[in-house]
Amino acid sequence: MTLAPGALAARAHPFTPLVVTAAIAVAALAVPGPGPALALYALTLVLVVTTGTGQAALRALVPLAPLWFFLFLLHGVLGEGGRVTVEGISLSRDGLALATTQAARLGAIATASLAMYAGFSPSRFVDAVAEREWSFSVAYLVVATLLALPRFRARAAVILEAQRSRGLRLRGSPLSRIRALGPITFPLLLGALAEVDERGFALETRCAAGSARRTALAPPLDTTADRLVRWLAAGAGMAAVAWRVVG
Amino acid sequence: MTALAFDEAGFTYPGAAAPALAQCTFAAEAGAITWLTGPLGAGTSTALLLAAGLAPRHTGGHRSGAVRTLGVDPAEPGAPAILGGRVALVLSSPAAQLSGIAETVAQEVAFAPANLGWPRERIHSAVDRAMEALGIAHLAARDPSTLSGGEMQRVVLAAMLVLRPALWLLDEPTSALDSAGRALLHDILRSEAARGAAVVVASEDADGLYAVADRLVVLSGGCAVLDGAPQDLLRGDAVWDAGVGSTTIGTLARVAGVDAPRPLTVDEGVARWTR
Amino acid sequence: MDTVTPLVLESVHFDYGGDAVLSEVSLRVEPGEGVALLGPNGAGKTTLTRLAMALRHPRSGRVVTGGRDTGGRRPEDLADVAGYLFQHPSAQLFERTVRAEIAFGPGRLGWTSGEVERAVATVLLELGLESLAAHHPYDLPEPTRRLVALGAALVSSPLLLLLDEPTAGLDRAARARVAQVVRARRAAGTAVLAVTHDLGFAVEALDRAVVLERGRVRLDAPLLDVVGRDPAFPAPPLLELSRRLGFAAVRPAIESLAPLLTSRAKFGTLEA
Repeated sequence: MTLAPGALAARAHPFTPLVVTAAIAVAALAVPGPGPALALYALTLVLVVTTGTGQAALRALVPLAPLWFFLFLLHGVLGEGGRVTVEGISLSRDGLALATTQAARLGAIATASLAMYAGFSPSRFVDAVAEREWSFSVAYLVVATLLALPRFRARAAVILEAQRSRGLRLRGSPLSRIRALGPITFPLLLGALAEVDERGFALETRCAAGSARRTALAPPLDTTADRLVRWLAAGAGMAAVAWRVVG
Repeated sequence: MTALAFDEAGFTYPGAAAPALAQCTFAAEAGAITWLTGPLGAGTSTALLLAAGLAPRHTGGHRSGAVRTLGVDPAEPGAPAILGGRVALVLSSPAAQLSGIAETVAQEVAFAPANLGWPRERIHSAVDRAMEALGIAHLAARDPSTLSGGEMQRVVLAAMLVLRPALWLLDEPTSALDSAGRALLHDILRSEAARGAAVVVASEDADGLYAVADRLVVLSGGCAVLDGAPQDLLRGDAVWDAGVGSTTIGTLARVAGVDAPRPLTVDEGVARWTR
Repeated sequence: MDTVTPLVLESVHFDYGGDAVLSEVSLRVEPGEGVALLGPNGAGKTTLTRLAMALRHPRSGRVVTGGRDTGGRRPEDLADVAGYLFQHPSAQLFERTVRAEIAFGPGRLGWTSGEVERAVATVLLELGLESLAAHHPYDLPEPTRRLVALGAALVSSPLLLLLDEPTAGLDRAARARVAQVVRARRAAGTAVLAVTHDLGFAVEALDRAVVLERGRVRLDAPLLDVVGRDPAFPAPPLLELSRRLGFAAVRPAIESLAPLLTSRAKFGTLEA
């Protein structure tokens, strides 16, 4: 997903989307009942669209759709309590409410996470940390974690190409598909492990092991709006937790 | 001034049956280009890792004897702080040496100086100069992960050149470069040596290095068996006995039954065989 | 019997959504030909080989590999007619032994175990890997792993070999071995298309140069008309020596030049 250069998500200070996403995740887990959960999901969708990461909302539907289906199946059909009939199928009212809450929670978390991923810039984040004179090791750890998945996928794509060029078929019977996993997962895992090893090595050759304060090459602007948004988000997250604990 | 000294140094990787280096003694001087070579498994890469302190710190294993890099023992815990930015180790696989977090080549080249806390202005001008020197200024905005092998190798070289290190340790730095790239690197190494840096290159590219190196050290079975002027050694039989060859023309001469001292260049070969 | 043309490109145009990576590229590689794909970085060389393997498809024009149009086909559909050596082949190794690694491809193609065994044995011998057959690829040094990957590309005796920098990172002995193998395969009818900057290898093992510049074919000519004649491609030492000594018709390899020089030394200057 490429962001338009002027998109809010691209211009915001790197910490802002991270804090907002964390707050949404906390709030999503904390809010009680279907109504608030749906409201949070709707809010997330609005945020995502207004910050220029609207595609995340659609992308999130890919993993969400099957999850939602199972949730409604599980809780709706198998739930207890008073029932309601929809299209001739008997469904549990409480079950449907529970499924809706869970579905909305997952929707908010998945959408916010994907949007954050899309807008994440490793160099801007590292510069933001350097600007505050925090530890580079911590910054590197965060970046390495967030980039782990895309790197994994890129590596898997390379391995897949090589194995397909040798005749590995991905379509066909379930058995052949399972057998196709070995030639992909083995080099993938071995490569990922070797890379972790290599990385520590490489970083030392690039002077990253020292204790000097790293220079921020292009420190991102931290506007009042950014700080305000972060405080509001953190506050809202905590409020949601308080609501859950108290209510 | 001696920039790097191995004194009866030995090293065994963890779990290895035999030592990678044993009683290895040689030195590299500032202002000179020292060429390290040896048959496969002779320990040239290990020697560079020891010099940089990455062995045994990152690799594990056990070191014996003494290694001194710019006057300090590189295996000491305090060594990275002292040597950081003054020793440049270029690994044989450029992809393995990228930071993994740079979105552009310019950021990649700036990675080490930024880690050392250089002021921004100094970083920007040093990065521009280094990219110019390696002919990659046009790649400044590219994503490092999309580069070809040769381009990546030039980026890593630029990322080290930017530091103007006192000691260069290079492991097969031209493996992915074409002849123009190799010539460029050799020019850079010459000017670095002229500036006073010590350059140590582990390479089997005799054609490239015979005229560039000031000193040839041949490792075999983990210790230095030959140490002298590159051209003298390459013309003789000792390099063959040590399991290393000569330049392409020198190799041809030996196979064609020519006795030592053998021709090394095309010109010398033409002269020899047009009698 | 119709012989299949190993590779045909017809007015191929390709881009990654931006500037053209390949423009109006047309090319035929016949059985037994060895093409060195030359040119500066970014000229589209690797992309061309990827199109030949159906890893990508042209925006316009046609790519026909081993008689099969790549349009609508996937790499696994071409695995029996084309063998691809990637630039960083270590990434694909996964079996526990070198033998199993090389046997993987033919296994996928449905060969009998007898056929697979024979083909693997041939390749191990060809590449000098017999003593390492039972070793774990990951225990081997990088240059050896590259030879294993080359073995994997050769084992199914494809009509077309696509090699991306086959000698990068190899020592002299291994480079000579690769050159030898490529020549032997070409003599047996395999077509070879190699992206390479190693001109010593190219003049030893290949016979045709296709020079790509900014996505277009600048030159398509016999290799020896290009190397040492075009300023962008300086002659490697053996080629220059053989030309200056008047041995231009001799293959610029040590094993072919040495005997001539030995006799010259014994008998004085010979008529070349």
